[in-house]
Amino acid sequence: MSTEQATKEIRGVVLATDPAREDCFQVVHSDDEMHEWPDMSDISRRERIHRHMNNETGAMEIAAQALVDFPEAPWGLRMNLARQATDEARHADLLLTRLVEMGGTKGEFPIANFEWGVTGMLDNLPGRLAIQNRTFEAGLIDLLGVLRDKWRKEGDHATADMLESILADEITHVRFGNRWIKRMTEENPAILLKVAMAIRFLAKAIGSMQLKPGETNVVGTVWTEEKLRPPAVNVEDRLEAEFTMDEIKEVLSQAGFRTIIPSALR
Amino acid sequence: MGYTTIRERADAVGTFRFISVNLMETLARWVPTTPELEAKILFGRHIWDMAQEADGLGQRTSELRAPLHYNARPTDGYMQTLDALAALTDTAERAEAMYDGVLPDLEARYRDYLAGTNQMQDEPTVRVIERVLSDLARMREDYVRFQAQRPDLRPQAKDWKDRLAAIANGPADFVAFRTAPPQALEV
Repeated sequence: MSTEQATKEIRGVVLATDPAREDCFQVVHSDDEMHEWPDMSDISRRERIHRHMNNETGAMEIAAQALVDFPEAPWGLRMNLARQATDEARHADLLLTRLVEMGGTKGEFPIANFEWGVTGMLDNLPGRLAIQNRTFEAGLIDLLGVLRDKWRKEGDHATADMLESILADEITHVRFGNRWIKRMTEENPAILLKVAMAIRFLAKAIGSMQLKPGETNVVGTVWTEEKLRPPAVNVEDRLEAEFTMDEIKEVLSQAGFRTIIPSALR
Repeated sequence: MGYTTIRERADAVGTFRFISVNLMETLARWVPTTPELEAKILFGRHIWDMAQEADGLGQRTSELRAPLHYNARPTDGYMQTLDALAALTDTAERAEAMYDGVLPDLEARYRDYLAGTNQMQDEPTVRVIERVLSDLARMREDYVRFQAQRPDLRPQAKDWKDRLAAIANGPADFVAFRTAPPQALEV
């Protein structure tokens, strides 16, 4: 890695300092500081789009920073990262446009840069791919599958269609992450240790930041057991992103779906 | 400058590839360090363009009897131009230097190459460069739209025009040609 990373300490966890943001944004560091509502009121809709816009911005920044930090990576992988950075820029642009169409503005709600904070602490590319592409973006595959249906059920087909197109792109990002991690660990099994250490660091960071059941965020939304549960696992799209059946079963099990795993996957 | 030998063409195409990778990295470096969202998006959307240009040029170098993805470092003078661009920190200066400075200058260098090579013998390179020129034109159109979107982002420093001129007018010689190998071995 070619650059030194500045850091911040949040709840005992050392994370990378936030990327640059305009003054209109209030940058916060944990879930309880975010303005998140459980319903689909107008303000909740705008906050969801605003939060997603910042997450896509962060994904663009993470892919771009990987191009800067790892100039010796294989050219094919750098091409994939370049494509991802540009896709995420397009997603942020789409979401900014949608936010404005809905009457929202940049900086209307607090934002957090958790993914950047975690990945920026990893000094190796396999670890970053494992966390950003194989974990965060794979989680987004699950989440977007749910959200797309939710917005469509609410009658907002413009947003649902946009999320559908973003989902298709995210599948390609997860797939190249899976392919490169597989290839790199086949060539050098010691890389698995770096991947495992990255995953352990992520688990520690999530454990420190996440709200516990019964706690509330700054706008009074109560965190319940149900809210903490991961979204429904998007089996079909994870398969398209080249997760194996065993890996998907593991995700389903962790998400509390062990007893309802489709028989075809058992 | 004429590009008459395979070796000269490979050196020029490898230099263009180096510049594309360098500009891809500069845009990537700017994305997390630029505060304004619209500017981040502008830079981010062009990273893939630069990567594709580098890839097309890099494929071509192997057909010109150089290695696949041959990267030829430009002359020291032109490297100073690229370094000066990368070192900018102000958002408006970054955008103007890239889209009104380095890219038009680069476009002129590509056109000089097209004028200086044999269109038939070197047709595959000509086709690659035509695609690059189309990309560069679109990127500059994106910048025009960005200016309408963020009219507040204009360089303010008094010495900016001079600094921009220095970046926009890099030295004419930018390809560091390799020394030609001996034509025959004496036994």
